[in-house]
Amino acid sequence: MVIAAPILMDTPPSAPAKSSAEKPSVRPMPSFVPSAAGPGASTAPIGKTLVDISHLDFFYNTSQALHDINLKIEAKNVTAFIGPSGCGKSTLLRCLNRMNDLIDGTRVARGTIKIHGVDIYQPDVDVIELRKRVGMVFQKSNPFPKSIYENITFGLRLQGMNDSAKLDEIVEKSLRGAALWDEVKDRLGASGLGLSGGQQQRLCIARAIAVEPEVILMDEPCSALDPVATAKVEELIQELRSRFTIIIVTHNMQQAARCSDKTAFFYLGKLIEFADTRDIFTKPANAQTEAYVSGRFG
Amino acid sequence: MSEPTTIAAPAAPAGFAIQKKRLRLLGLTVDDTIKAFFGGNAVVAIVVLTLITFFLMQEGLGFFAQNRQSLQVYRQAGLEYVDFIRTEVDDHTALTRYLSDLRLRQLTALTEGRKLSLDEANAALANFDKFSDTFSSTVDPVRSLLSDLTEQATAIKTKFIVTGDKKEERAQLLAEGKTAEAAAVKIEETDFAAELKPLLATLPAFKEANREFSRALTASLEGAPVPPTPELVARMERLKQLTRDYLARLPSVERSLETWDYTLPIPAWKTVSSFVFGRQWLTASFWQDWYGVIPLFIGSLMVSIVALTLAVPLGVGAAIYINQIASLREQRVIKPCIEFISAIPSVVLGFFGIAVLGQALRALSQFSWLSWVPGFPYSERLNILTAGCLLALIAVPTIFTLAEDALNNVPRALKEASFALGASRLQTIVRIIVPASLSGIISAVLLGLGRVVGETMVVLLCAGNRIAIPDFTDGLSVVTQPVHTMTGIIAQEMGEVVRGSIHYRALFVVGLVLFVLSLIINYAAQKIVRKYRISIG
Repeated sequence: MVIAAPILMDTPPSAPAKSSAEKPSVRPMPSFVPSAAGPGASTAPIGKTLVDISHLDFFYNTSQALHDINLKIEAKNVTAFIGPSGCGKSTLLRCLNRMNDLIDGTRVARGTIKIHGVDIYQPDVDVIELRKRVGMVFQKSNPFPKSIYENITFGLRLQGMNDSAKLDEIVEKSLRGAALWDEVKDRLGASGLGLSGGQQQRLCIARAIAVEPEVILMDEPCSALDPVATAKVEELIQELRSRFTIIIVTHNMQQAARCSDKTAFFYLGKLIEFADTRDIFTKPANAQTEAYVSGRFG
Repeated sequence: MSEPTTIAAPAAPAGFAIQKKRLRLLGLTVDDTIKAFFGGNAVVAIVVLTLITFFLMQEGLGFFAQNRQSLQVYRQAGLEYVDFIRTEVDDHTALTRYLSDLRLRQLTALTEGRKLSLDEANAALANFDKFSDTFSSTVDPVRSLLSDLTEQATAIKTKFIVTGDKKEERAQLLAEGKTAEAAAVKIEETDFAAELKPLLATLPAFKEANREFSRALTASLEGAPVPPTPELVARMERLKQLTRDYLARLPSVERSLETWDYTLPIPAWKTVSSFVFGRQWLTASFWQDWYGVIPLFIGSLMVSIVALTLAVPLGVGAAIYINQIASLREQRVIKPCIEFISAIPSVVLGFFGIAVLGQALRALSQFSWLSWVPGFPYSERLNILTAGCLLALIAVPTIFTLAEDALNNVPRALKEASFALGASRLQTIVRIIVPASLSGIISAVLLGLGRVVGETMVVLLCAGNRIAIPDFTDGLSVVTQPVHTMTGIIAQEMGEVVRGSIHYRALFVVGLVLFVLSLIINYAAQKIVRKYRISIG
């Protein structure tokens, strides 16, 4: 097992309530406005709570998908969401950058999601700015039907960056960051769709890190990949964890065990258990968790 | 001997009845019948298409042989010879038109610029009128000769046609077995050499008249008065220059007359080029019929351009709005409305065009605050613009539906990826959705074009039906002129022509041109769509 030692173990999953009560008054202004502190992966210190979800209820039309979720995700850590299909783990992930807004009939009925203490469901939040800070990698690789270079620079150009020297530099940095540079450096102008599945997924990761988000959400990034490509992406996650806060949804328990520091187990829209990955897989506190991780259902 | 058989086929245990007796009709099972039915339908479609193509070709291609014969007669009967002289006279007429335009401008300059009364202005122009009369009467000797020659040539042609008719009559009688009657039909072969002799003998007289004309015209220029304003002086100078150029061309007419030879055969390419590049569509003329597709083609083209200019932004814009921006409720209202437009019969649209749109547009063009619009004000109610607007209405549902399909085919994942990178809705549409569906949109536009080019009723009712190449000299105002179209001419004239005549066949060739155009457009659209499917993966 290549578990990277969890960096922070002294903050229990049930974090003290006082910090969440304080934060809104400390940082009342959303940081998701263009002029606020520039994008950067280094604003939150390791181990500090970055994403604070409390009492979250979420609905698809009339059916409730999430029930009273309370979760504190730490900065510069890899957090895995596991659970059987339909348990709400992807829904929760998509709540974190408000991708669910794109689906008609979805709503957060109760509770808050705070990032850096700012409730991202407040009306004054600029969703576009939020999504620049909270990047996402999807289940199925989805490069744009453009060149590799244009795929990487898409997010930057949206922000109005046109300096080609700077863009070149970021493209190289992002592709190196996604361990793809050596494979594609000679054909940056070729279509992103011409790459293999694993390469396409790493291109999507490079595209996401090019805009330097704080959080990267990964929605089953390896489910469509073969074992070799999966290993490469997992290796990549280990390299990225020092710079980004990563939240990964996975069906694959070995994967969660291999690459995450903390693991949250969901079942039927409820958070059953959230603890250090090592604890979840070796001494789960909950019987359902134990049944799931040992393969008795799911 | 019997042992192996029993081993190979042991009796099935009772209850394992998987065999069934099939119902057979003429040796076919139900499945076979259904298969044959649908297969038969597909074959019928292909056969019909082949028949249409074959029929169009068979009827149309005969045109070129007939056209060649027609051109041959045009030459042999001396019509071509006379037309050299006619062109000369027509060119002079064009110059006198320029002159009368100049008079009108002077009159305006005098009455409005110098505040003279109409009588005073006319008096001031007396000098000009004298010059103008001299100028236009100089051509009289040539013109009188021309009218004589026209009669002679027409007589020869008529004679030839009568002979042709008689031959046909005799052939028909022979076919019916009436030999005696057939022998009674007297046929007088046309001897072109003899018939043309008097015509050609007028050459010296023409040369004389031409010299006289040339002299008189040159002399008349001397008497040209000086117009009142500098702008008009420049126009007068322009007229003088045009006249001098015209005079320089006169000897070349004589040369063409001298070298003209009625025995020269008409080259085969001319029968095609006179159709493809012919600038006149002139039928049932006493002189010579011309079947040139250019005025009709340009008519169709102009109407289509206007229609697409309006329909592409509307159709594609609506598709983007409905697919990407509109709420579910808006979609439920707008989509059926746009698709319903295609259910309106085109004759109703044409009727609407005549009764409402044409009137309304003309009324609009009369407003003085709109006079900056090219072509406004105009008086022709039915013109390119009216027809183009209605055709746009016909093309919008096609373009909208297909473009919307293309937008729908863009994977949702691309849209999500774009949003996840912090793109706004507009940025996602402009940078991701539209580029990804561009080929689908282009083919939607092409199919819309195909719909417009093939549309008949609306253009027949609303395009004005004037068979002439519109005047492009005033730029965009060309859209306010009436035209005739390829589809319109077929619908209008096909009912009146004699089956098998050259006119009938010419209409078929126009149909062929339309057929080929639609074929190309549809092929291009399909090709683009296929490429698009591959690129999305």
